[in-house]
This record gives sequence, C-alpha cells and structure tokens, in this order.
Amino acid sequence: MKTLLADFHIHSLLSPCAEVEMTPHHLMMRAAAAGLGAIALTDHNASANLPAMIRLQEKYQVKVFPGMEVECKEEAHLVVLFDKMSQMAVWQHQVDKALSGRLNQPEKLGAQFVVDEEDNLVREEPRMLLGPLTLTAAEVVTAVNNLGGLCFAAHVDRPAYSLLMSLGFLPPELGLAAAEISKNSLAELQEQKLKARTGNLPYVTNSDAHWMQAFLDGPKNRITVRELTIKELRLALAGKDGRSWQAGIFIDN
Amino acid sequence: MKLDEVVRALQLTEVVPAQKPGLEVSGGYASDMLSNAMGQAAPGQIWVTMQGHPNVAAVASLLNLAGVIVAGAASVAPETVQKAKTNGVALFTTALPAYEVCGRLYALGVGKP
Repeated sequence: MKTLLADFHIHSLLSPCAEVEMTPHHLMMRAAAAGLGAIALTDHNASANLPAMIRLQEKYQVKVFPGMEVECKEEAHLVVLFDKMSQMAVWQHQVDKALSGRLNQPEKLGAQFVVDEEDNLVREEPRMLLGPLTLTAAEVVTAVNNLGGLCFAAHVDRPAYSLLMSLGFLPPELGLAAAEISKNSLAELQEQKLKARTGNLPYVTNSDAHWMQAFLDGPKNRITVRELTIKELRLALAGKDGRSWQAGIFIDN
Repeated sequence: MKLDEVVRALQLTEVVPAQKPGLEVSGGYASDMLSNAMGQAAPGQIWVTMQGHPNVAAVASLLNLAGVIVAGAASVAPETVQKAKTNGVALFTTALPAYEVCGRLYALGVGKP
C-alpha cells in the first residue's frame, strides 16, 4: 500500500478559461515539486493535452490519469477518469460527436491551445469546447462506466454547473462514484444535509485549478491504494480492503 | 383557472394526463434549476421548465404541483414519463418557448395577484 496526495480536477491551457501558464510541463514540474503522487488533467470536453502529460509521467514520477470535465445536456459538470489513453480516445470520439458544432471565439471566451511536452504550440483548437454536449448525465456516466472509467459530479456545492443544483438531488441509480465539493465547506455542507441529497456519495476535493497558484493552494485528497488504477480508486472511495480516501487535504498539511 | 383549461388554451400535449383535470392552478413557476424549483415553487402551481430529467417528476410530486410543462420542444426522458405516471404528476409538453408559455399563462390570469 502507498499513501499519496492527489488532485483529480485540473485544467490546462486547452480550456479557454485557463491561463496559458497551465502547460503540461509546468503542471508536472509543480506537481512533482509539491509532492503530489497523482493528478488528472481534466479540460472541458477535451483531452488533447493529455499525450504531453503522459509523456512526462516518468520524468517527474507523478502518475497522470487521463481525465475530462464533461458538460452534460443538463448543463452540469462531470469529471471522468480513465486508466488508459485508449479508453479516453474512445470517449473523446463520443464527445466530439456530441459537441455543439459552434466555433470558439478566442477574443471573448479565451484561446484553446494544444501544446507538446516542451511547451511548444502544436495547434489551436477551433471548436467551442465550452457548452453542453447533447449527452445527458445518465448517458455520460453509463458510457464512461462501460468503458471502465469513473465519474464524479463536479463542485456540487457551487451555484453554477453543478449536477446537484441542476437536478435538485443526485439520483442514486446514476452510477456516480463520488461528489466533488469546494474547499473549506465540509462543515457547512453537513448543515445543509447535502449528504442525503447527493445520495450519500463519498466526497472528493480537488483544486479545479485554472491557474498555477490555484493548483498549489487548492484542496487535494490523501489516498491509500495498492496501485494507481481506477479499480483501486473505487476501492479507496469505498474505504474497502485497507484502501482509503481522505478529502479536504492541502499541500501544506 | 383549471388545469384542463390551461391545457386547452395552450394546446399542450398531454404526455401524462392530469388525474384531477378540474384542479385549480394556484400560480406558476419557471426554472430549469431543480434545486431552485424545489425551494421556490409552491403546491398547486404549474411549473414551466426545459428539463426533461426524471428528477423533474420527483420534484413536482414532492411539492404537490398541479403539473409540469416541458417547453421549447425539449425532450422528455422515457423514465421521466414513467416516474410521472407512478407519482401521479401531470406532465405536458409544448413546442412553444418557455418565455411564451409563461407569458400566455400570465395573460390567462394564472399567478396574477
């Protein structure tokens, strides 16, 4: 078993709302320096900066989970994670077919850059990545689970883009693995009886960083697993067989 | 105004017909955020939304609403229809945009003080 610090919700400069400092190389360098053991790159409806992240895994000794922050038809955000890029490729194909078909307007929404592991520009993504897919939350979760991935509802305690706010409560049959909450709100949430409304899902906390300082300051998770796989993450969320998942952990503690 | 009069006036499609068509509609509420509707809509009101998720039927049942209008030709999931039937929730659809549905309801006197 190993215990490590992990952040499963981070944006790179491919997300139009993220700063250009969020390059794969910069992220991996800072993650390693901060002592993180695993991170997931989760750009909006996109995965094109993951190859650069994956190529840097060995150099920085930080495990990278292929991830994505998906906006479902209900205009809520779901974070999806996979073990392998081959699974992500299949999922990205489904996402591509479910995008709005609009083009990005960089001057209004921000540019969407794909870069390599040395921060060189590969291309600019022309499609508008922000906005809901034509897939419902149930369709997203089912497809991702069938591919062997894992889904959690992003920032359920925020007013915008939260599946909990959109749907009033999270249907237990949806198949989510966890609910992500924003920092410092654990106690507050208990008062709101959020646990019942989220179907008693385990909580996770991530930075959801769009710039570097937010990545360093944002909440993380302390997880104990045998290896860094989706299967082990599920065990950790369930607190089974000696695995554990502790939310609300920061780099300094 | 009674529920069946609303259905006729707006030419709504009755996906799940009202169990009490003669029910007096006490007012209206419009929101696509179910958490907001849960907190703000009142019993006896008709709810205008673009959401077709099964939770819509659950929220309408929970609040004892007169019915739900899914506007703007938005799609309603089969599970939503099933859940509405099971819970006795009147469920209507229309191609009219939500803005127009609300405007027409208000013009008919629904929710007017």
